[in-house]
Amino acid sequence: MDADTQAQVAFFLTGRRPSECLAAVDGLDLRPALFAGYRELTRLRYDFPLVLVGGRADGLFAQSLSGLVDGALETVAQGGEGERIRKHVLRLELEIRALAAAGVVKPFSALWDEAASRLTKTADKSFAEDLRRARAAIKFDGEVADCDTALPSRLLRHGWAAVQKQKAEAFHKDIGRLALKLSDILKADYERSDAGRSAKRLKAAVGASFGDTFDFDAMSRMLGKALPQDAFPPSRRKRICDLLDVFGRQQFFPALDAGTKPTAAKPYSFLFESCAEALQAFRDRMPMLIELVKAITVAELEIDGQYVESKHDALFEQFGANGLGQQDLARFPDYLVCVNAGQLQAVEQARLMEILSSSFPIKVLFQIDDILEAAPTGGSNLDTGVRTRQIANMAIGLNTVYVLQSSSSNLFRFRERVLRGLAYRGPALFSVFSGASAKASGLPPYLMAAAAMESRAFPAFSYDPSAGADWASRFFLEANSQPDLDWPVQSFAYENEEHQRVSEDIAFTLVDFIAGDRRYAAHFASVPRAKWNGSLIPVDESLTRERKSLPDKVPSLLMVDEGNVLHKVIVDEKLIGEARRCREMWHSLQELGGIHNSHAEKLLARERSAWEERMRQEVEAHAAQAAVVSAASAAPAAPEAASPPVEQEPERSADEAYIETPRCSTCDECTQVNKKMFAYDKNKQAYIADINAGTYAQLVEAAENCQVAVIHPGKPRNPNEPGLEELLKRAEPFL
Amino acid sequence: MAMNIMSTTGCLLEMCDERFELEDYQGGVPRWCTGCGDNAILAAAQRLCRDEGLRPEKTVFVSGIGCSSRFPHYMKTYGFHGIHGRALPVAEGVKMARPELTVFVNTGDGDCCSIGAAHWIHAVRYNMNLTVFLHDNKIYGLTKKQASPTTPIGTKSNTTPRGSYLEALNPLTVTLGVQNVSFVAQAVDWIPEVLFDIVKAAYRHKGLSFIRIVQRCPEWLPDMFEPWMRDPDKVQLLHHDDGLQFSASLSRLYKNQLRHDPSDLNRAREIASSLEPIPVGILYRNPDVPCYEDLLRSDKLRTPELTRAVLDAEFDKYTIRPQGSEKMQA
Repeated sequence: MDADTQAQVAFFLTGRRPSECLAAVDGLDLRPALFAGYRELTRLRYDFPLVLVGGRADGLFAQSLSGLVDGALETVAQGGEGERIRKHVLRLELEIRALAAAGVVKPFSALWDEAASRLTKTADKSFAEDLRRARAAIKFDGEVADCDTALPSRLLRHGWAAVQKQKAEAFHKDIGRLALKLSDILKADYERSDAGRSAKRLKAAVGASFGDTFDFDAMSRMLGKALPQDAFPPSRRKRICDLLDVFGRQQFFPALDAGTKPTAAKPYSFLFESCAEALQAFRDRMPMLIELVKAITVAELEIDGQYVESKHDALFEQFGANGLGQQDLARFPDYLVCVNAGQLQAVEQARLMEILSSSFPIKVLFQIDDILEAAPTGGSNLDTGVRTRQIANMAIGLNTVYVLQSSSSNLFRFRERVLRGLAYRGPALFSVFSGASAKASGLPPYLMAAAAMESRAFPAFSYDPSAGADWASRFFLEANSQPDLDWPVQSFAYENEEHQRVSEDIAFTLVDFIAGDRRYAAHFASVPRAKWNGSLIPVDESLTRERKSLPDKVPSLLMVDEGNVLHKVIVDEKLIGEARRCREMWHSLQELGGIHNSHAEKLLARERSAWEERMRQEVEAHAAQAAVVSAASAAPAAPEAASPPVEQEPERSADEAYIETPRCSTCDECTQVNKKMFAYDKNKQAYIADINAGTYAQLVEAAENCQVAVIHPGKPRNPNEPGLEELLKRAEPFL
Repeated sequence: MAMNIMSTTGCLLEMCDERFELEDYQGGVPRWCTGCGDNAILAAAQRLCRDEGLRPEKTVFVSGIGCSSRFPHYMKTYGFHGIHGRALPVAEGVKMARPELTVFVNTGDGDCCSIGAAHWIHAVRYNMNLTVFLHDNKIYGLTKKQASPTTPIGTKSNTTPRGSYLEALNPLTVTLGVQNVSFVAQAVDWIPEVLFDIVKAAYRHKGLSFIRIVQRCPEWLPDMFEPWMRDPDKVQLLHHDDGLQFSASLSRLYKNQLRHDPSDLNRAREIASSLEPIPVGILYRNPDVPCYEDLLRSDKLRTPELTRAVLDAEFDKYTIRPQGSEKMQA
């Protein structure tokens, strides 16, 4: 082993960095080589910034700026002017992106105007006109949100508000209908009362035009006599008034007339920044919620005229004693709690688990700003998100929680899953890595968040218990790039010393992700170009090797400095250990997602070997059969498929009198002949109820009259009945 | 986790639901002639109401004029014995104002196909959620035997003593020719099992379900249906996985069966044209045709204020102002 390799191996094993062979990475401002193209994000077209479109509770509630611009260009950038318009509008998009990245928080329309006014000062006349046309083609507006620390909570709150708005509309529609119908019942009762039929009231109802034409006193007297006897029960009146009162007092949704009616009860807030407070509020409000659900149910029965005191009073007395089911809760607002992992204390953590184990409609945004923070225990392992990632994994284990884990860079792609989680009937956990810690390393949060997901440090997945009964339906892992690989592999091209283009495939591992964080600079060492040798191997390759003796290869990665000059950086064993742990965790997720599932693979191997064994035996059997020339007996035929059971009709003798009841057309002919002998069954079809209730002559007459000839008179029971001979002749066609 | 499970509250309320018997739907004693095919239709309708648990106070039978139109009197539900040919518009009005009610229509061949023909065509096109029974006995029975539009050519009646001159109108092909048709079936009163199955399928279809029921009139046309009654092969039962399936005992008697897909409109028209044998079963069904009442349904609550405002706006159009008042205002 030469001296250079020895120094590199020593660094790998101990982290010791002799200055003559290896350089510190501090101050070199290195970043992973694959980041070389992403130095200035505002020059690139990607998902961010987003436009949080108001009033939408579907997949369009958040849209990307580029998507909106592309949509507009498809409409307006046509014909000969198309290219010019495209250029102008894309220039504006760039400006808007720069404004958003600079932290300007404004609605999309205002940002558009501001960017346009900046650019049109120096541009020609067509520029403003092109922008105007493109703007007219964009029908959406809303706050613009860039990928920053605030994004997860802004996006979640925005989606949550849209879902709650929908719920509020449905609720007010329902309550409005119920209140109107209940008031109608009271009004109808009033119209029937003495007061409602008083002369004064009648006069008022007719109006001024014909007021003198009628004698309202006489009319009142006449109508008074016609009042119905069944008076409106006072208990029902009280019940209806109570229901209307409950509707008026509810605080779960803002009252529609809150603006004009200052006395309206203040609506509850459902947004929280603490799990404990949200849980407490949910419990405190439960009695009111039960009262309201009960009122709605009773009101539905009342307006349908179905409320029966003897049956329903007892039923509703205990209503809600066991709390409310998810279906009842689903029409009321969901609670949204936004917490930050960095500030989560033990008590809060316990409350969070309490929420997740409950069936309450509480949605929790668990925002993680730093997944590379130092382990609080100071143990040999780095933390690398394990602690925070545990929350999502534990929540999945509870089986009934909607769980979504994603970097904020991927939230736009997961927008429909976010909405689904917000609309889910039980608790939901949104574990989001914001990438905000990257600022210390000079990286934009978007890049840090995307790198966390790409490197498997923070994979994206969702678990939706409402999507089906099995893991294949519930668990979704495919959003991660190249999910069937350990590490995603990207092609990387650069210019070598001979100015030739060189392209190679680079795996993006956890080590590449950590290399972008300055806090871990001590774990890396830059190898001077002169000392690049064959002992430097890529990190992913080193991870596949098992060390059984003194290593002769050292894991290295490609990094670039500020001038995009390539560096090779070696990494110590501690981080390689971390990468191994990260890969293990990724493997577990892969198994849950059905990728390289070990059970399936074992089963497949077993079946394959069984199949191979069967094939082998068949081949041998064929060979043996060919040897026996006389073995020519045909294989026994396969048993025939079972035929469906055939309905058996009861055996009847020609002497017995009977009716083919299912064929009776209810024409009353036989029952007219003898009501005791012939009767109808529960389907109003005839049968012989009592053969002794009439004569044979009546049986024959009924058979003759039967429109569908389904009466069979059989043979006479009384041999002494007069005229039997003739009757038997008449009965013959019906036997 | 299954999300379509019924809520506990819903279960508790259903537990308290009233159950009905056939007697709960039986109104007055029918005055139809003994042996009349209308009885079979009445029995099928009452059985349907019971089996589907239709609440009598939420069910309406609307009829026009004729033997068949006495139907509402014999049902213990709400009913409207209307005027000649106008059963359908009355039923449409009921459904429009009270969409939560279950509305049936009973109309005869004279009521529907003659004086009410225009209403019939448009009711099919409107496709409101109604179940229509066309009691077709091919004669005006209540007024004692006059030829109706469906009377077969050559039939002698009080209005056609030398036999009727025109080919009979086929209510099935007419209905199947109207835009928006969504359910057409044919039944005969003398096979009650199939009649009931068709009535049930018609009731469960959302849209206008039109059932032509070939119905015997033993009083005025006692021999008209004899050939079909005597020979089961003159009836062709239509079966399909998406249509009706027949019991083994029925299939032993009625061997003439045809597999017909109710979603095939052209084939339905072809089969409907057959007079011999008579097709019995579901000819056509399309659950995707929108119902008129749904198209016009408004989310706005009909509050007294809204009603007053709309009426005022209408009345204002016809307000007569004293002459010259506009000038004065100007």
